[in-house]
Amino acid sequence: MTHPMVKNLKSMFKPIAVKQQDERRIMLNVPKDSLMSVLIFLKNSGYAHLGLISCVDRIADNKFELVYIVSAYVEEDVDDSMKATFVVSTFVSRKDPRFITCIPVFINAEPYERELHELYGIVFEGHPRLTPLLLEREYPIPPMRKDFDSRAYVEEVFDTVPFVDQEDDS
Amino acid sequence: MDRNQLIKWLKTPAKMSHKYSLHAVYFCTGCGIIEVPPSITARWDAERFGVVPAATPRQANLFLITGYVSVKTLKAIIRTYEQMPSPKYSVGFGSCPINGGMYWDSYNTIKHLDKYIPIDGWIAGCMPRPEAIFVAVTHLWTLIDKDMADGYKRYEKHYSAFRANQEQVLGPLPWPPLFSSRETE
Repeated sequence: MTHPMVKNLKSMFKPIAVKQQDERRIMLNVPKDSLMSVLIFLKNSGYAHLGLISCVDRIADNKFELVYIVSAYVEEDVDDSMKATFVVSTFVSRKDPRFITCIPVFINAEPYERELHELYGIVFEGHPRLTPLLLEREYPIPPMRKDFDSRAYVEEVFDTVPFVDQEDDS
Repeated sequence: MDRNQLIKWLKTPAKMSHKYSLHAVYFCTGCGIIEVPPSITARWDAERFGVVPAATPRQANLFLITGYVSVKTLKAIIRTYEQMPSPKYSVGFGSCPINGGMYWDSYNTIKHLDKYIPIDGWIAGCMPRPEAIFVAVTHLWTLIDKDMADGYKRYEKHYSAFRANQEQVLGPLPWPPLFSSRETE
């Protein structure tokens, strides 16, 4: 059964790819420019809960894929037949990873965007504070990127720490 | 208490009381802490072995490091270990503190915990069952009997080497050295 929102989205936004993966899971791949309007449209349709922003490093295509997961937070916001989870994704260039923040739409996006900035190096323009969230160390490149050689990093940083020779005491 | 242990009690009363009153600070570093609630409660009653959870590190003398140790956690582990009064016994729980375990090439976990603080015993496994804690505790008793659980003495003796390792990974530490360099020489 096709979800009613699929038809709405297709008619509202021409160049987006809408795929209904499941009865209540709708995948959208939208261009960079129309992502904010899609998010605003979903929010105004009652899907006012941003569950997660995630990032996939498509190193073969030289792109980052940003994934926004949006659903209805309060069940009364949408009818029973309209319940769905929307997985909205867009591609960002890997060379100059910049995007605009979606804090004006979903205020809880702030920590997600800080985390993505820290682990993938994506700059969200308009974000009030892109300071480190979880990590305390400096890394040569953001550590969750596919081309971060974690084994070489471990050999350089952790394996050079010597064992303490504790055997000489009797 | 066994009647035939009475001689031991009379000979070394302090050692016997160290053995049978292990107050554990359960430092929740990783997934291993999930084994601790069943082992201190009714199913596997850890109090049979004299192991009771302590409220703060300053009242504890058994340190179970349960699970992987990230760089940020290492700082807290060192602070906790230094706060505990001697004699103190530290036990690495699970395979991650031993050699990194499944996080052996992770960018943010330290691999060998005994490079940074002295460890008296290890419990291998991923995860060890709660019974393994009690095997470790009974093994720790024999180590205490033979004066082999001397991690706190080794820490004082080799403090400059431990501190150098800690500062190599964490950068300059914000607290002063626990032992002055004169003592460690």
